[in-house]
Parts: sequence; structure tokens; C-alpha cells
Amino acid sequence: MVLDEVSLSIGAGESVAVLGPSGSGKSTLLALMAGLDRPSSGQILYEGREIQGLSEDELAMWRRRNVGFVFQSFQLLQHLTARENVLLPLELRGDPAPAHAADELLEQVGLSDRGHHYPTQLSGGEQQRIAVARAFAARPALLLADEPTGNLDTRTGQTVLEMLDRLQRRHGASLVLVTHDPATARLAERRVHLLDGRLVREERDERPERAGRARQAEPPDAVAAHGAAQLRGGS
Amino acid sequence: MSLRFLLRQLARELRGVAHRLVAFVLCLAVGVAAVVIVAGISSSLDRGIRLEARNLLAADLAVESSRSPSDEILAAIDALPGSRRAGIRELVTIVAAPRPAPHPDSLAPRPDDPPRTLLVELKVVDGPYPFYGDLELDPPSALAPLLGDDGVVVAPDLLARLGVAVGDEISVGGEPFTIRGLVLVEPDRLGGAFTLGPRVFLGAAGLDRTPLVDLGSRVEHSVLVQLPIETPLETLRAHAEDLAEIAPRADGYRVETYDQAQPALRRGLERLERFLGLVALLSLLVGGVGVGQAIRVWIAGRSDAIAILKCLGLRPRETFLLYLGQAAALGLLGSLAGCALGLAISAALPFFLRDIVPAELLDPWQPMALLRGIALGLGTTVVFAVPPLTQVLRVPPARVLRQNAEPLPGTRAVTIACALLLVLGTAALAGAQAGEALLAAQFTAGLAGTALALAVAAWVLVRAARRLPRGAGGRVWLRHGIASLARPGAATLAAIVAIGLGLLVVFATQQVQSQLRARMEAEIPDDAPSAFFADVQPDQWEPLAELLERQDASAVVSVPVVVARVRAIDGESVAELVEGAGGPGGRRWALTREQRLTYMEKLPEGNRIVASSAPRAPASPPAAGPSLGDPDPASGDSAGSVAGELWTDPERNELSVDEDFARDLGVRLGSTIDFDIQGVAMSFVVTSLRAVDWESFGLNFFIVAEPGALEAAPQIRIATAKLPEGSEQRIQDLVVSEFPNVTVVLVKDVLERIVALLRQVGWGISFLGAFTLVAGLVILAATVGVESSRRGREVALLKTLGMRRADVVALFATEYALLGLVAGIVGAIGGGVVSWIALTRGMDLQWRLEPAAFAIAVATAVALSVVAGAGASAGALRRRPAEVLRSE
Repeated sequence: MVLDEVSLSIGAGESVAVLGPSGSGKSTLLALMAGLDRPSSGQILYEGREIQGLSEDELAMWRRRNVGFVFQSFQLLQHLTARENVLLPLELRGDPAPAHAADELLEQVGLSDRGHHYPTQLSGGEQQRIAVARAFAARPALLLADEPTGNLDTRTGQTVLEMLDRLQRRHGASLVLVTHDPATARLAERRVHLLDGRLVREERDERPERAGRARQAEPPDAVAAHGAAQLRGGS
Repeated sequence: MSLRFLLRQLARELRGVAHRLVAFVLCLAVGVAAVVIVAGISSSLDRGIRLEARNLLAADLAVESSRSPSDEILAAIDALPGSRRAGIRELVTIVAAPRPAPHPDSLAPRPDDPPRTLLVELKVVDGPYPFYGDLELDPPSALAPLLGDDGVVVAPDLLARLGVAVGDEISVGGEPFTIRGLVLVEPDRLGGAFTLGPRVFLGAAGLDRTPLVDLGSRVEHSVLVQLPIETPLETLRAHAEDLAEIAPRADGYRVETYDQAQPALRRGLERLERFLGLVALLSLLVGGVGVGQAIRVWIAGRSDAIAILKCLGLRPRETFLLYLGQAAALGLLGSLAGCALGLAISAALPFFLRDIVPAELLDPWQPMALLRGIALGLGTTVVFAVPPLTQVLRVPPARVLRQNAEPLPGTRAVTIACALLLVLGTAALAGAQAGEALLAAQFTAGLAGTALALAVAAWVLVRAARRLPRGAGGRVWLRHGIASLARPGAATLAAIVAIGLGLLVVFATQQVQSQLRARMEAEIPDDAPSAFFADVQPDQWEPLAELLERQDASAVVSVPVVVARVRAIDGESVAELVEGAGGPGGRRWALTREQRLTYMEKLPEGNRIVASSAPRAPASPPAAGPSLGDPDPASGDSAGSVAGELWTDPERNELSVDEDFARDLGVRLGSTIDFDIQGVAMSFVVTSLRAVDWESFGLNFFIVAEPGALEAAPQIRIATAKLPEGSEQRIQDLVVSEFPNVTVVLVKDVLERIVALLRQVGWGISFLGAFTLVAGLVILAATVGVESSRRGREVALLKTLGMRRADVVALFATEYALLGLVAGIVGAIGGGVVSWIALTRGMDLQWRLEPAAFAIAVATAVALSVVAGAGASAGALRRRPAEVLRSE
């Protein structure tokens, strides 16, 4: 039993950090929210629709339309250039002008001149900025980030986090940020703490600009995970 | 997701993939090359034969027979508008070099210096020849003026073999002729066709001087006909049909038009193409095993990328299509490489095949053959790539978060579909090569059985290696080498199947060839005759027998021969029987051939009566034919069917028939056969069937008659004898100088020619079989190469732990030697079985276990796999421990 009796709702445009030590079940929670894993019991609702019962094909289509990812180990496709990595979600969605959107995103992460490079030719920070650009390319409603700064030094990590924050606000996406680092977690307006698969604590920022935006959105729940997950090999 | 995106993504994915899948491309290229070579040669031969059709017949139309064409036929030919004709007669005879010195006593030639003699194929042309194609003579001239009445034109190799030169005299049928020139190219004689001796051209007037066209000599007649060049093909065919009315098959005539272009040769080529095509396909299929293996490794290395794609929302089936597309693109690349390789080899082939096939008939550029190669290459790619590609479906997207995420569950439907694809796909490929369903099905079943046997052997090996105690004792490298075979993900299975199949083909071919040769060369029974004497006139036999005795010949046997033709069987005429005999199969041949009958009181050795009828028996065997519907009412006391008895009916002329030939003729015990014996009609009843041991090389006949009926018929004698070793040629020379019309055939010479021809055919098959073996080795080397980074770590670790370089080499060698050993043993056993089937079932010969050849085959497999495996591991062996461990 990796997760037990976890109930969590995330509003549209809201940013939530999931905190917890290694093995607390953070990544499993993320995988469940992304439809990468299936819960042994319980429900995962997206805009009121259950996703845990969808087929692999339907899940893929759902991710294609709604979800963006940023990973600790970047997970760029090594055989594609930086620009092609950013293009990919746009093309998958059938964007009529993917090239324009991709170039714009590359500019926003400050890597316009490095688009033709392969991931191996980029530094870790650059790779993660490409990953951030890719995550926002398809304008997802939900952005999932798994330890996005875990493989970066503090300064580079900070740059990436700022970028993530800025883009999230610009696009109005919900953000779920999984991390073990309280400093990173401060990016989010809401922080939930996991320990041994249970939600033990939750805190919320009262910073005005954040609270204000959250009120404006006044959303139906974007994502609600509720129940238990039994996953072998979970984090 | 649009097709455009799929294609664009495909193009991106392909970048940098090709060089990682060199093995894939190579495996396929080798097989495709084999397919292209076979298809190319066969279609270029077929095309060449059709293009050269007129030249190969040297006429528009020909009427062939084994006796002189009737006046009626010649008149009908002359009546064709604008026709010209030439008569050709061909016979095998002996010619002699000039007598060194005149002999005072011609009856007793000095035994020390008889003139040298040689078996030749004589061709006598009466009229203009050839109508089409070039008869190249040296000196350049027309044939008739060069020959005159007393000249011959000979093939160049006759000069050396008889020790004569142009301008010398040679003796043909005892008459002197002057060699006037050489024949360099003869349009209607295909290079490489089996011949008994060099060609000698003789004029018609010259032949009349000799006693050769005597009764009983085997003369092949043909009338070559030329029609005006504007004659349409339809008219030509109509003429041929009209002629066939007057010259029916039932009378032994064959009417050929040039457009049929050597139908027998083309049929033979077609059969050979199917067979060789399947051998080539086998190497392609082995290549397919390599493709599957390469894809498996490739997909395993791509799992992360596949997980990311899925995570980004690529549906599983789209991912599958994306990778199938890449496999197909690589398949196309491999096929194109195979075409290039095949073309290069085909271009060199005319040189190697120059003794079998005239170079002008071979044109390596055969677009259809290339297309066939590409189509089969792509087909093989799909068939063998899809099963491992389905692993793409099971890659869990959760891998992006956890490396060890559980693979998605597979579905039974996918597994079944893959199995079906493998079996049906292979069958379809075999069908494309074999051209007929039954052969394709047999091929697929045989292949599946063999592959299964190899897979089981590989599985047993892996299990045994896993079970082997890993504890103390034995050499470290030996234990680790054995253990390496069993490690998860090792290429053991695929490599064993591939190498085993390759070895199977090569070994089977080698065995058939060597055993056939051994049977022909060494296994001729000790008492088998070494010489045949044909065309002996009855009054010549006594002095010839005396001569042979003087020369220490042993086992001298002679029998009379009466030439006859079957007119009717059980009252039904041959013309009617041939009508129902369908294609030009055994029955038509048996019915229309010139029958050679003999008569004797007792059967020679090697003959066994298997069925015999006493026609008066009330309970005559059920096999008795309807013609027996005239039973003697006085019967009632006889013993029914008696095996082992000859000539049981005192009332009728009896025959004993070889049982297989009887089946071809369609006669049974009690059947009556009406013969036309040199114009005289005679009727016989079949009263016994015999089994004949044809391998004894003795004088045997399909049909033996009861003595008493045929003595008065015109006849000749044939004889066999065992000549003292070494003096065969001298005795032939002696016989011919005294009896110029007698034809001597030395068994050894003929066998040597057959063996030489077989060797060339066998060489071709082995050559193709080698492709399969090479494909197998490429797979081994490739899988080892792909694994070399993992191996590099392994080597580094072993070295770190204190293993010496030599130990590591021994470890690798052990692993590959074991692999080669298992593949070798199973492949050699399979090859042995295939050669056993070919020899005992296909050729009715004995099969013998050749332990030495078996051992050599296994040892070769071991050596080749050690070389290929260790060679591909060289990179891993060179790496220094620190460098590898640091890079982790």
C-alpha cells in the first residue's frame, strides 16, 4: 500500500506542491493524477470525469489534450532536437501553426538560439528549460512537475522554477509540483505533506496576488484524487 | 494524429538509427541478395532462351523422331508455302585416329599400337543449315562445301584427345575422312548440356559410305523447316498442328516450333528455380530471425523514449505504427543493399558458370528479380519485425517516473496474431518463391519443424546451463562461459536457430553431393561391367567375344536386341492411349518410345519376379486385365498365381515386364501388347512382372520376351564386359579398328561426366546455402556487437575482480563454442535427415552415415561461431576497467 486514504482536490489555475520524504508516495500520487498508473481502489476525477477506467488509448488522448509534464530527469527525446521536442505536443494536438508556437515558447525560456541542438549538447538547466517549454506547448490545463529541480544546482533550479511559475500564470494552468524540498515547494500557493502514503498536513499561502487569482478562477475541481493506491514499486 | 505527423516523426526517428541497426540491414541484405541472384539468373536464362529461340532451334519448326521421317511428312513440309527444309541425323559413334602403320593382317591388329579411338556425337546435315543462328566454323565457310564427300568438321577438343590436327585423316565407321575444319559455335547445341563426346559433322554422302546407319543404330532424326520471315506465329503454329496430324506422337514424332523455345529445358529451369528459390528464401528467413533479434534489442533500448512519447499522449497503436514504419524503412534499406549485393554477385556469375551456361544468355540486370527481392525483403521484415514490435505496446508510460515500472499487460489476441503472422507470412513468402501451394506448405512445415527442434535444443541448453552447479570446481572461465549462455536476454535462442538452419542447408547439400558421388564412383559393384558394346551385328559377335577374351576381359555378356514399337495395349491403340495420357509425363514416353526387346530363357542376376500369372488358372489374380476375358474353358487344375516362374504358358508369346515400366505403360498381368517389329505385327501377353536392380549396371531390359518368338526378327546384339583396369582405352581402340560400326561406351568416362555436372549443380546449391550460414553468423556477431557496451561493463568488472584478459577471452570462447556446438549438432542432424530424404526418397539410393563429414560440420559451426562471437566482442575486450566503471 503506497497511498492510503488520500483525498485531494485541485482547483483550476491553482498551484499545489506535494511534499514528503523519499518513499512517502509523492511520485505515485503524481503518476495516478497523470493516468500513468491505475489505483487499486478509489477514484481519480478530471473535470468531474473518472479517468482511472479509461483504456491506454483513451488515457493517451486525455494526456495529449490536457496534461503537461516536467520531470526530474528532463525526459527529452534524445534523438530529437530541442525545437523538435517542443514541437511534438503541438503536432500531436494538430496545431495549425506548430512552428510559430514552438519558436515563441523557445523565446520565452530564452533558448531561441539553441533550438537545433540535441539534448546531449545542452546543459542540464537548458534541458530542463526545454522540458518546461515542451510542457506548456500544448497549453495544458494541468501541469505536473516531478522534482523539476532535483538534478540541477540551486541557481539553475531557481531560474527554472521562476520560468515554471511565470508560464503557469500566463497560461492559467493548474500546477502540481512534487518535491521533497520545502524551498521549492514555496513556489506553490498550497502545500500538502505526505508521509508513508497518508496526507498528514496542508498549508495555504495567504499572499494577496495568489489568493486573488484563485478566487477569480473559482473553479470546479480540476483534479480530485481520492482513495487508496496500492502500487508495487511506487516511490 | 495525422499521417503527415507520423511521417515527419518517422523521418526524425530514423536519424541516427540506421547505423545502430547495421545488423538489421546486413541480415536482410544477405537473404535478399540470394533471392535476387536466383530470380535474376532464372529470369535472364528464360528471357535469353526465348530471345534466342529461333537460333536455339536453328529453324522455325522442326519435326523430330527416332526413325526417318516418312515421305508423307516430307511432302507435307514441302507443301507449306515458301518452306525450305534440312534433314539432320545425329548418332553416337566411335571415331579412330589414323592407323600408325598399315597392318598386314587386319584380323589380328598388333595389340601394341592400335589407333586411338573416341566416342563422339556425330551430326549429319542434309540441306541448308542452320536457318537461324550462326554456325561458326574455322576456316570460316559454309558447312556443305567444307565437308564435301570425304571431309569432317570436328569440335576443337577432339584434336587433342585423338592426337590429330586439321588436315589429318580420321576413320568414321571404318571409312577414312579428312578433318577439314573446326566447329566453334553450333547454334542449337546448348553449352553445358550433357554430352557423351565432342561433335563431329559429316556430310550425307559421307555417311552413306559408312555402315553406321545399319539396322539398330540409334539415330535421331530431325527435319528443320524454315518458313518465309513474314509468316505470322499463328500460321506457324497452325502448320505445326497440321504436321502433328501426319506425324503423331503415337508414332514417336515430336513437332516443335521455335516459340516453344526448348520447353523441356525451360520446364527444368522452372523446377530448378523453385528449388533454388526456396533455398534462397531460407537465407532470407534466417535473416528475418536476425531482424527480429535486432528489433528486440532496439526496442529494449528505446523503452525510455517510447514511455515519453506515450506520456506526451501518443497512443499505443500510434507508437507501434511509428516503430513499424521505421522497421519498414530499414527493411527497404536492407533490401536495396541486398539488391546491390545480388547484382554485384550476379555480374560475376557468368564467369563462374561459363561451363554450364552460355554467357550470352545471362544478363544480370533483371528488374523483376530486383523487385522480387525488395518485395520479399519487405515482407520478411514485416513478418519478423511485428512480433518483437508488439513489445512497444507494453512499454509503461510510468517509466518516465520509475525505471522499473511494471510493463503493461499483454493481450492474448496480440500473441495469437503474431503467431499467425509468422506462420502465414512464411507460407506466403514460400508461396511466392515456390509458385505452388503444396510445395510452399511442405517447405513451411519442414522449416517450422526444424526451427522448433533447434529452439528446443537451445532451450534445453539454456536450462542445462542454468542448472549447472555454479559452486567450486572447474575453471572459472568455463563456469562463467556456460553461465553466460543462460543469462537473461542472451541471444542464445535466435543465434542457435539461425546458425543451425544455415548449417543444415550447407550440410544437406554437401551430403547429397558427396554421397551421390561416392555411389557413382566407388559403389559400382565389383563385378559391374566397365564397358558397353552397342550396335554389334549378329555375325560380329563371335569374333568380338574372342577379341575380348584375348584381352583378358571378364564377365562378358551379350544379348540380342530387337527394336520394336508398341501398337496397342489390350486392343486399344497407342494413339488412343496417348490421347488420354495428358502431359508429356512418363506414360507418354513409355508408350511412344522405341522399345528394345530381348529374349532369354533365364533372367540375369538382379532380376526378381514379383508377380506371375498362369493364365489358365480359374482364380487368376485380380490384377488381370480385361483382355483376359477369353479364359480357356479347359482350365481348372493350375496353381493360380505363382511368383518366381517365367514362361508358364506354352500357347502364347509371353513377356516379362519391369514393374515400374509396366505401371508407366499401363499394363498388368494378363495384358496383351501388340508390337510393330520392323513392319511385322506380333502380339504378346504379359505373364510376369519383375523388380530390376538397375544399379547393378548389368544388361537389363524393361521388356523381356520368351525365346522362340523373336529369333527371326531383324536384330543386333549388345554386350557388356569388365575390362582389365587401365586397358579400357586400348581395348576400345582395338575393337573399333576391327569393327568400325561397333560403339564402345566406357562406363567410367560417362560417370565422370555426370559427376562433373553434378558437382557444378551442387556448387550452386552450396553457394546459396552458404548465404544462410552467413546470415546466421551475422546475427550472432550483430547481437554480440549490440550487447558490447553491456559486455564492456562485464569485462571491466571481471578484470576488476582479478580476471586476466586470457581468462575473459576463454570465457567468451566457451560461450560461443557451446552455442556453435548445439547449433552444429542440431543443424547437422537436420542436414543429415534432409540428405537422407533426398537420397532415399528422391533418388532411390542408399544413404550412409558419414561420421567424419558430420564431425567436420559440427566443428565448422563451433569454429565459425567462436570467430564471429569473439570477433564482435573484441571492442569489449579492449576496454580498460577504470574507463568503463567511471562512465557509469
